[in-house]
Amino acid sequence: MTSHVELAEAGFDPAARLAAFTASLDGEGAVVSFTGHARGAAKDGRPVAALVLESYRGVTLASMQSIAADAHARFNITRSHVVHRCGAIRPGEAIVFVATASAHRRAAFEAADYLMDRLKTEAVFWKREDGPDGSRWIEPTEADQADLARWTAKQD
Amino acid sequence: MASTRLRIELCGRLAEACGREVDLDLPEAGLPVAALMVALGDAYPALGDALSRGRIRACVNEAIVPSATVVRPGDEVALFPPVSGG
Repeated sequence: MTSHVELAEAGFDPAARLAAFTASLDGEGAVVSFTGHARGAAKDGRPVAALVLESYRGVTLASMQSIAADAHARFNITRSHVVHRCGAIRPGEAIVFVATASAHRRAAFEAADYLMDRLKTEAVFWKREDGPDGSRWIEPTEADQADLARWTAKQD
Repeated sequence: MASTRLRIELCGRLAEACGREVDLDLPEAGLPVAALMVALGDAYPALGDALSRGRIRACVNEAIVPSATVVRPGDEVALFPPVSGG
């Protein structure tokens, strides 16, 4: 298995990451990728000038590596590529990118879905929206927790 | 009892009340995480509200630890509010 996990302090190009990931395939039949982008508006419609993601020393990257290792242990994927930004992210910029590859599509789909659900709720980041009317910290929503719970239920 | 100064890093929204780092007198024998949070709320009342809302985890020497773990002088301590990536 091959897994690349990266905490990016500057912007990255998700299309270039996907192209490189695809070029690295070794006979797999399926690639799934997901990119999350910063929105220009908060859930209540207020404008967001920047999304700020705070991390903590080696703990943030270690949490991402642990999540990726779990995905490899749980799904029949051969490779994965995970990039997560930290710092100030402007609307439209990529926050997170995951790509997975497997012999057949199901494992790649499920592993990418699983990676994102766990990154949203368990990776060690603190997320803040900065706008013209101040800053607000964002914590996982009930929907995020419900998404995560799907995987616990499936494992029982 | 002899005590030593412990620097505690406050992450995310916890940094809003008193800044990114606070100092606390720690007994030489150390303090369990749960007691450390109570002592921190006493020393920094502005933090009390955020700490008592719960769901705060302690990170000691780059590992998230249970509330019974004893923090000792020289440990590198940070407090984590609920995390959110993506």
